[in-house]
Amino acid sequence: MKSYFRITVILICVIFYIRCTSHNKMEYNLPEPMSAETRAIYMERLEKGKTLYKINCSACHGIFTKGRDSIPNFTKDQIDNYRSAVLMARDKKNHAVATKMSPQQLDYIIMFLSLRKHTE
Amino acid sequence: MKFLVDKFFVMKALLVILILVMMILSFSFTRSVNNSYKEYYFTSLKSFKLQLTSLRNSIAGINISSERDIESVRRQIETARIKLKNVDFWLRYFEPNAYRRINGPLPVEWENEVFEKFEPSYRREGAGLSLAEISLDISPINKDSLDGLIVKSQAAINVFEADSITGQLNSYNHFFLANRLFLLNLATIYTTGFECPDSANIIPELKLMLQGTKEIYDHFNQSFHSMPVTDEYMEIYEKAMLFVNSQPVCFSSFDQFTFIRDYINPLFALNQQFINEYDVTSVNFNDYTLNNNIKSIFDKSLYTPQNIKGVYSLVEDEKTLGQIRHIGKLLFYDPILSGNNMRSCASCHKPTEYFTDTAVRTALQFDGNHKLPRNTPTLINSIYNHLLMLDGKHVSLQDQGIDVITSPSEMNSNEKELLQKVMSCREYEEAFKAFLKLTPEEKKITLNHIVSAITYYDGSFSRFYSPFDNAMNKGSFVSDEVKKGFNLFMSRAKCGTCHFVPNFNGVKPPFIGSEFEVLGAPEDSSFKTLSADKGRYMINKAPQTLHAFRTGSIRNAKYTGPYMHNGVFKNLEDVIEFYDVGGGQGKKIQVDNQTLAGDSLKLNPVEKKELLAFIYSLNEDIIFEDPPAVLPTSDNRLLNDRKVGGQY
Repeated sequence: MKSYFRITVILICVIFYIRCTSHNKMEYNLPEPMSAETRAIYMERLEKGKTLYKINCSACHGIFTKGRDSIPNFTKDQIDNYRSAVLMARDKKNHAVATKMSPQQLDYIIMFLSLRKHTE
Repeated sequence: MKFLVDKFFVMKALLVILILVMMILSFSFTRSVNNSYKEYYFTSLKSFKLQLTSLRNSIAGINISSERDIESVRRQIETARIKLKNVDFWLRYFEPNAYRRINGPLPVEWENEVFEKFEPSYRREGAGLSLAEISLDISPINKDSLDGLIVKSQAAINVFEADSITGQLNSYNHFFLANRLFLLNLATIYTTGFECPDSANIIPELKLMLQGTKEIYDHFNQSFHSMPVTDEYMEIYEKAMLFVNSQPVCFSSFDQFTFIRDYINPLFALNQQFINEYDVTSVNFNDYTLNNNIKSIFDKSLYTPQNIKGVYSLVEDEKTLGQIRHIGKLLFYDPILSGNNMRSCASCHKPTEYFTDTAVRTALQFDGNHKLPRNTPTLINSIYNHLLMLDGKHVSLQDQGIDVITSPSEMNSNEKELLQKVMSCREYEEAFKAFLKLTPEEKKITLNHIVSAITYYDGSFSRFYSPFDNAMNKGSFVSDEVKKGFNLFMSRAKCGTCHFVPNFNGVKPPFIGSEFEVLGAPEDSSFKTLSADKGRYMINKAPQTLHAFRTGSIRNAKYTGPYMHNGVFKNLEDVIEFYDVGGGQGKKIQVDNQTLAGDSLKLNPVEKKELLAFIYSLNEDIIFEDPPAVLPTSDNRLLNDRKVGGQY
C-alpha cells in the first residue's frame, strides 16, 4: 500500500515536472530552423520583454499569477497598432510609460508579444 | 373593423413623422458640414495636374536646338512650380516620398529614418520639376528623360487622391500638423533655394506660396469654425506677407534673420498652442520626433534626441540619476576601460576642449604609433544626430560607445575583462549592484550598464544655448554682422541647404533622418588627391554614398577644429575658403559624385568675415566641469597607478 502511494507521488511529480518544462519550451513561436546560438539570443530578449511587460504593462493588460499568465491574446494588427502608437507617441495619456522607455526596451516587449504563444 | 382602421391610421401617422424627422435631420447636416476646405484641396490639385499635362505637351513639341522652345518649356515648368506652391502645404506632409517624385532635389537619395533605423538604408527616387529645370541646362537635352521626370510626377499625384489621404481632410487634425511642417520649412528650406534651382525665383515663389497658403487658412476656417486659425495668428501671418513684400526680391539681400525671429517663430508658437488646445492627434510619421510642448524652433527639445539614459531609461528619480551621472563621469576619465589601462574616453574627447581633441588632425591609435583615419568628433550636440559616427554606422549612443571601447585600434577592450576590472573597484561595484536593481529585465551587469552611465554623463553637455539662440528665443542683442552672416549662410553662401536650422546639422524637417554629403575633401592641404576614406559607402554600398559623410553641426565650431572628416583644415577660414571655391571639384580634384556645387560662391572678404561672425554667435555658454581628483581604488594593486584621463 505504502509503495503504491510512493509510486503515485513520484509519478505525479514526474508528470508535473514534464508538464512544467514542456510548457516553458513551448512558450514562444520561434522561427525555425534556428541555431542554438541564435535561439539563446532570442530567449534572452524574450525574457527581458516578459519582465518589462510584467512590470510596466500588466497592471492594465492581464495579470501574472503563479505558473500561468493571463496576458490578452493580442492579434498581429493590435501589436502593430501598439507599435506605431508608441512610436509616434500618439497616446501620451494611457501609455506614458512607453514614451520613457529606450527603443531597445520597447523592442523587447514587442518581440515578446509577437512571438508569445497564445493561451487558450 | 374600426380597430383595424385605427391601427392603419397610427402607422401612417408614424411614417409621416419619421419622414419629417429625417428631412429635418438631413437638412441640418448639410448646413453644418461645409466642404469648402476639401473642395479647395481638389481644385488646387486639379489645377496643378492640368499644368503638368500642358508641360508635357510643351515638351513633346520641343525642338531641342531652338532657344525659344527651351525657354517656353522653362516657363511651363515655372508655372507648374507656382501651381505646386498652392498644394505644397498638403503634399509634403501627407506623403513625403511621393512628393519627392514631384519636386525632389536629387535623382537618388538613401535614407534611414528614425522609425526604421534598425533596417538597411532605403533607396528613394526623386523626379519632377526641380530636376527637369536643371536638365534644361545640360546640352544636348534628352527629351525622353525630361518627359520621364514629369511622367513620374503625374504618377505620384495619384497617391494624393487615395482615400487614405483625402479622408484626413474631413477632420482638423492633419491641418495643424501640416501647418507646423510648413512653418518649419519656412525657417529652413523655402528661403534657401534647397529645391529651387533658379535663385532668382526663390523670393517670388515664396510670396506666391504665402498667398496660396493664406487661401488654405481661409478655406479651413470656413469648414472648421470650432477649431479656427485664430485672428491673432492671421494678423502675424499677414504681417509676415507684408514683410516679404517689403523685402528685396534677391534672396541674398532678403532678411532671413528678421523673417524667422519676428514672424515664423511666433507663428510656430501659436500653432503649437493650437495643437495642444484642440487636442490634435497624428496618424503621420512626419510628426514622429516633433515635440508638441515647446514654443520655439530654437528650443533644443524641438525633436526627440538620442536616448542618453540607455538601460536606465525608466529611472526618473533625480537623486539616482545624479549617482548614475557621477559614476558615468568617473568612467569617462577612467583608463580601466581600455585594454592596457592607459586610455580613457577623455584621451580623445577632452572634456575641457569641447569633448574633442583640438591639437591633432586625427587621434593616435591604440598602438600609440599610428593615427586613426578620422578626426575626433565633439560629443557636444551629438545627441541631435539620428545616426552616429561620421559614416552613420550606429543608431544609438550606447552602440557607438561599445564600438569604441571594444575596437582594437581605439580602446581594445572586451566585455568580460572590462567588467572584471571595473567590478574590482569597490565604488563601482557598489554602484552597479545598486543600478542593477533599476533594470529588472537585466539578469546581470553588462557593458550596456557601463556605457549607459557614460552616455548619461557626456550627453548632459548638450543642453546649453548660444547668443544666436537667445536672439531668436528672447530677442536679445546680436550684432548686425552676425545677422548679415546668418542671411548669407541661408542664401548665397548656400550653407543652410545642408546645415539646417535649428541645430545646423544634417537633420532637416521633419527631423526624422540624418543627411550625408560628398564634399570632395582632400587627403592633405596640397589638394592633390581626394581623401581615400570611403565614408558612408563602408556601411551602405551605393554609387551615391562613396566618400559621403554625415553633416556635422556648426554649433561651437570655433572650438572644435580641426575640420572635415580627416581634420585636414586647421581653421574655419580654410573651411570657408574650400566651400567658396566649390569643394573638391573647385580645387580640380576628380570627384564624380560631389553633392556640393563645383562652381565658386564668389564671396568677398567682408562676407567671409560676416559668415565667421555668425558661426561664432553659435558658441554655446557651456558650463564645463573639473575632472575628478581621483579614480576608484581597485582590489588589484596593479590597477591603482592609473592616471585620471589616461596616459595618451
